[in-house]
Amino acid sequence: MIYLDNAATSWPKAPGVAEAMSRFLLEEAGNPGRSGHRLARTAAERVESARRALARLLGVSPPERIVFTLNATDGLNLALKGLLRPGDHVITSSVEHNSVTRPLRALAEQGVQVTKVPCFGDGTVDVDALARAFRSNTRLVVLTHASNVAGTLQPVAEVARLAHAAGALFLVDGAQTVGAVPFRVADLGADLLAFSGHKGLLGPTGTGALYVGPGVDLRPTREGGTGTSSELDVQPSDLPHRLESGTPNTVGIAGLGAALEYLEHRGLEAIRAHEVALVRALREGLREVPGLRLYGPEDPARCAGAVSFTLPGLEPSEVAAILDASFDVAVRPGLHCAPDAHRTLGTFPLGTVRLSVGPFNTLDEVRQVVGYVAQIARSWG
Amino acid sequence: MPEVDERYVRQVQFPPIGPEGQRRLLESTAVLIGCGALGSTIADGLVRAGVGRLVIVDRDFVELNNLQRQMLFDEEDVLQQLPKAVAAARHLRKVNSTVAVEPIVTDVHAGNVQDLIRGADVVLDGTDNFETRYLINDACVAAGIPWVYGGVVAASGMSMTILPGQSACLRCVFREPPPPGSLPTCDVAGIISPIVRIIGGVEVSEALKILTGSGRPNRGLLSVEVWDLSFEVVELGGPSPDCPTCGRGEYPFLRAEAGTVAISLCGRSGVQVAPRPPVHLDLPALAERLRAVGQVTQNEFLLRFANEECDMAVFPDGRAIIKGTTDPAKARTLYARYIGG
Repeated sequence: MIYLDNAATSWPKAPGVAEAMSRFLLEEAGNPGRSGHRLARTAAERVESARRALARLLGVSPPERIVFTLNATDGLNLALKGLLRPGDHVITSSVEHNSVTRPLRALAEQGVQVTKVPCFGDGTVDVDALARAFRSNTRLVVLTHASNVAGTLQPVAEVARLAHAAGALFLVDGAQTVGAVPFRVADLGADLLAFSGHKGLLGPTGTGALYVGPGVDLRPTREGGTGTSSELDVQPSDLPHRLESGTPNTVGIAGLGAALEYLEHRGLEAIRAHEVALVRALREGLREVPGLRLYGPEDPARCAGAVSFTLPGLEPSEVAAILDASFDVAVRPGLHCAPDAHRTLGTFPLGTVRLSVGPFNTLDEVRQVVGYVAQIARSWG
Repeated sequence: MPEVDERYVRQVQFPPIGPEGQRRLLESTAVLIGCGALGSTIADGLVRAGVGRLVIVDRDFVELNNLQRQMLFDEEDVLQQLPKAVAAARHLRKVNSTVAVEPIVTDVHAGNVQDLIRGADVVLDGTDNFETRYLINDACVAAGIPWVYGGVVAASGMSMTILPGQSACLRCVFREPPPPGSLPTCDVAGIISPIVRIIGGVEVSEALKILTGSGRPNRGLLSVEVWDLSFEVVELGGPSPDCPTCGRGEYPFLRAEAGTVAISLCGRSGVQVAPRPPVHLDLPALAERLRAVGQVTQNEFLLRFANEECDMAVFPDGRAIIKGTTDPAKARTLYARYIGG
């Protein structure tokens, strides 16, 4: 099987992830921070060491600014709902995932004002339009770091400067880039960064995190046990406890820790270079297929790992089903939970076929897939 | 002799039923799953005979092409776009107002089948697909409720009666449902009404035997071909010890671990229905069959089929993308009609 659905979740996972999770369940599965016995201490150490590894990866200090969540969606919800109040204004773009669009829609119904800034045809946000969108009550700009449909990397640093100049905070959806594109939080200028542990970070599903920058006060969306300040009936104010209630996904975080070890060892620069080469091979190969329409920026250096295309006469879901049924290639067709992005690309409502690469794909694999797509195009042309 | 409604006199005069059998019948509950052609015949038979309560489960709506053989419906039902279960109940109340006829408009699936058959003394098969039959088989064997299988296509039909724990169950006889695309369906091969009446009639008489507690239910597999006129009963043994349903109690369909999987595809591309495990589908042969009932285009990778009621793409591993709907139940219905299984 050739797996090209890494933007949905990466597969395979990093070497060592399954073993770490198995070992955790068999030998270490106490409740972290709730008692002093060996299993509890070991579990706590797994959670805290994963937190430290994430902080190193993203250049975050102290590590407690990393709050564990279930996934990127969970982190985005926490950031948006913990920050925005009725009467606040928020700016976003027209290529966002539903994990941003839907919480904002729900908040709009409670009186939050939302402006969606248009994007260019390749998915890049129109920074001039964004600059004009600020109001006196603009509290936040929320933008994806890279489109999950076309891979388009956004000019986040530029947007951060605009946001900060206007006194607003900047939330970045890092679902498609954390682990796959090397950067430090300071490079983005992000005050908040939400991401999942199961995509670029190569960890298990059910893991994710939210980075909370200095000067950002998020109201918890859940209160409960933290293992700290238990004598008080108010939620503790210190991070990460303020935003982490209840027993965390310890087994998942143990797996994530192993994945982070792998990433540190292999190096994000090397992974990024590999994925850029894969995207380049895909785009160059697909461009030669007669009739095929390719979306997103031409330059692979301006893309994360996703490549979207359509074929004339065949629906994206049909192309994906053929790739699966006849060639054993796993891809994702449709709207990719990002209808606005497809409206921007002009591919709504049927969407596109999305090929998304990961660190374990090879040049040979992506060339094979280009050949299959060409064969499908010929068969129906 | 207890007092018997004038309505049932002729039936009570039939010695195997008699007044006692009629009394039992009037106190019994039958659940009919599927109310198309077979279901119409069965429901009509049971309501006229005086079953106490009849639950009719069907998710479809009455269409003009049903009237040729589905005897409970008329043109008015088509105009009003009534659900079949509701239209059937309306007509049946005019036939016999003393029977409690309860229409339920729903798709039958692993999540609701146990509730639907609860309290039944017999369950009758009026469905048009094997996936639902295997589900009914699992649910009835698990609950210990007798059920009568019946199926028809073109001019032939089959029936067998399953008495859980006593007779072979559907899975004892046919270990796996026929793979999608391997059998003709009514929507492709056609159907004539006489075979419907025969198999429906057999299902009613089996139900009457079970509900009145008299006679010997069919212990074989009945096969009828009405155009060349042949009747055949193959005798069947008892429950098979290694049957996943009645021998090992695994109930794969009831646990939703077998059968097709329907998932709504992201966006508006439709619903994907895929057999579990994948099968090898002969696309050219399927294309040949479907050409009679719609537009077909086909190559080695896919088959596109469209007619006035559906638009689908079918792939060599048996999956199909049913377009123009987001309703998994509707997609599975169309899959069963045109691909089968």
